[in-house]
Amino acid sequence: MLWVAVHLPLLSLESFAATLPAAAADQPLALIDAHRIVSANAPAQQLGVKPGLKRATALALAPHLTLAQADARRDEEALSAVAHTALAFTPNVAIQPANDAVGAEQAAPDTVLLEVQGSLRYFGGLQSLLQRLQRALVPLGHRLHLANAPTALGAALLARVHSRFDGVDPMVMQRALDAAPVWLLGPGRAHWEALQGMGLRTLADLRCLPRSGVARRFSAALLDELDRAYGVAPDPRVSIVLPPAFESRLELFTRADTTEQVLYGTGLLLDRLIAWLAAQHAFVCRFTLVMQHEPRWRRDSQTPRETTFELALAEPSRDRAHLLVLLRERLARLVLPAPTLELRLHAADIARRAPPNTELFPTPRSEREGLLRLIERLQARLGHERVQCLAAVDDHRPELATVVRPADAQAVCRAHAAVTTGSTAAASPADDDDSTEPAPGVKVRPVWLLNEGEPLHERDSWPLLEGQPLQLLSGPERIESGWWDMRLVERDYFIAQLPDGALVWIYRTRQLASNPRPGWFLQGRFG
Amino acid sequence: MDLLPPAATASPPRLAPPPARDQPLRRVLREAPHTLHPTLWLGHQMGRQADTTCASGFAALDAQLPGGGWPRRVLSELLLRQPGIGEIRLLSPCLTAIQRSGRLVMLFDPPATLSAWALAQLGFDVEQLLLINTRTAQLPPGRPEAVARPLGGRARSDRGLSSEALPSGDSLWALEQALKSGHVGAVLAWLPPRLRAERLRRLQLAAHAHDGPAFVLREMTAAERPTAAPLRLALRPAGADALGVRLLKRRGPPLETPLRLALPPVLSSSVREHVRARFDQGAAALQGATFINLASLL
Repeated sequence: MLWVAVHLPLLSLESFAATLPAAAADQPLALIDAHRIVSANAPAQQLGVKPGLKRATALALAPHLTLAQADARRDEEALSAVAHTALAFTPNVAIQPANDAVGAEQAAPDTVLLEVQGSLRYFGGLQSLLQRLQRALVPLGHRLHLANAPTALGAALLARVHSRFDGVDPMVMQRALDAAPVWLLGPGRAHWEALQGMGLRTLADLRCLPRSGVARRFSAALLDELDRAYGVAPDPRVSIVLPPAFESRLELFTRADTTEQVLYGTGLLLDRLIAWLAAQHAFVCRFTLVMQHEPRWRRDSQTPRETTFELALAEPSRDRAHLLVLLRERLARLVLPAPTLELRLHAADIARRAPPNTELFPTPRSEREGLLRLIERLQARLGHERVQCLAAVDDHRPELATVVRPADAQAVCRAHAAVTTGSTAAASPADDDDSTEPAPGVKVRPVWLLNEGEPLHERDSWPLLEGQPLQLLSGPERIESGWWDMRLVERDYFIAQLPDGALVWIYRTRQLASNPRPGWFLQGRFG
Repeated sequence: MDLLPPAATASPPRLAPPPARDQPLRRVLREAPHTLHPTLWLGHQMGRQADTTCASGFAALDAQLPGGGWPRRVLSELLLRQPGIGEIRLLSPCLTAIQRSGRLVMLFDPPATLSAWALAQLGFDVEQLLLINTRTAQLPPGRPEAVARPLGGRARSDRGLSSEALPSGDSLWALEQALKSGHVGAVLAWLPPRLRAERLRRLQLAAHAHDGPAFVLREMTAAERPTAAPLRLALRPAGADALGVRLLKRRGPPLETPLRLALPPVLSSSVREHVRARFDQGAAALQGATFINLASLL
């Protein structure tokens, strides 16, 4: 058994800093509890703010200090993202329960334990595994203490005192534990005063005492914990299980007025989502971002409580940069009805598949992916309805024979891939360019169409376009159709020529009882 | 030192020996400057394209284009007074060849509705065309609404639609993304009028990553201003099923006489012959022609 403990010494402070806007994260911050400073970040410590100071003293030292209280639920969500990241390295991941049972309030756990004995060979040894683990945890932005030891509790205790500890050898671990301060042991914390008074400073001091006496004076739990840390007693751990759906929330410290601020907060939620996806080799197909708004904004009861915003991907993805670009383009188009207080990210629709191969040279597959991403990006910024495809419909009426519809990125790229893999040497059907004759029986249609005929002026009942007379070259071609859907057309079409030689397609409506005013109309141009 | 061959010790190795060492540099420059660097050419010579080109499908045009076809990785500017003079038929041989090779053709902001049937007649695979339409709202399928377009004879105000149109920055952004991605086979874009030169320059830079021809269609008045695109053509109708092409800018000597290209035909040959005879007689003759016996033509 080889356990790696990932301890986050500044978890509460960092999870608080994540709720701040980007610019405020470098300002002095501190967490307080019962009017005393509990922890402070580096800019605050430079100003002299230290844990243990009174609130008033700290504010006198640093007037711009941002104060907040630790939030166990907030810390728990941040820690679960770390645990999810760890699950990509081993299936045995446990969260070390917090043992600082000081008073009624239970502190949040801040240590994740990984059993990595089975993964060492795959990742190429302990050192490279630890390096990759650290690299995977970088996006979450926590300061890390890493310790490895043969027992779970031993690793967890040593990670609290050492920022980096390597104790593969049980003897090394035992010596390090002997030198560790005695307050590390959870149940001993309640007897901290008594232990101090007895002159016990390290765990070695405690181990020297007779066991029966220690058990009577303190408790059997203290001894049990000591035994588990040293590996004398068994220490079974229950591995965490990934939730089937991802759900994470971020309560913003300051309300977000612009989508840019929302996007900044969403970046952290996306990092958590990617950790959850990476743990199960999955890619997200769609996810939902819920922005909870400030209630009673401007006393307007019409303001919705929250804005729900769904992003569906054409191709399942786990790429943070790509997801963030899509979110940025979509959010930029969104008008927020009220300032946002809280963000929630929810994802349940995922696809499990093998990770993509990295390729050195472009292949049809990578080209298809690039094309998909391009179309997705365009759709995200411009809107789905502006990325269009044409389709030919069997209808004689020219304005109804072509349908413009939003493009389906998957379909375009699938057809594209099919053509690419198909024989490129297929004889081109339209290669007989030498023919000077349009194919017989085919009615020639102009490329550019007006959806509604443009009325033309007439001179001596002869059509004029832009004041110039049109010369009819070919026709008439009668189109009489559409009695069934109440859009009857009765037209005689002609190909006509402008004096400069350009060809246009015009029609004359038939003079019938239903259409008292016949006339010439422009329908299209031969582009 | 003993391990090296004697030649290596005698003279340091060169990566590329200078061409025709014995000739004076002036002579090389005069006759074949491209041997010094592929992008060097003389004013009276035709420039060479570093990349292969796409055949335009018109032999007369290919002969006048540097490299023998539409260039890749750069913008090709086509100036025309108005859509609908044969520009799609001019480009269709090149674009359909790209589609047949399995690459995507994207159209940006077409100035009017395209007819799927007409494109299919020109040899396009209509399903494999992607349209980016930022100027007008999408037409509901099956119920097309009236679209005010520059296509119409009368200048119709499209104020009513301008509220639905996205800012022109969005359309340029989309075009730039498509060029930059390098995954699109060919791009055909109708640029907004009075485009600033630096914006076109930006597109030209983005086109370096685009492995295929990129056509931008602009209004005729843009000819008065310089362009970043290395190829610039002015298109003008020249009779039925014919197109006059003037090469305003190319990597090569200026071309005085405009080309006259026979486009893929719309009219049957008998009608075309008839019209051509009349067209060549001049516009005055056309003015007088108010009656044709259609029955005799068809």
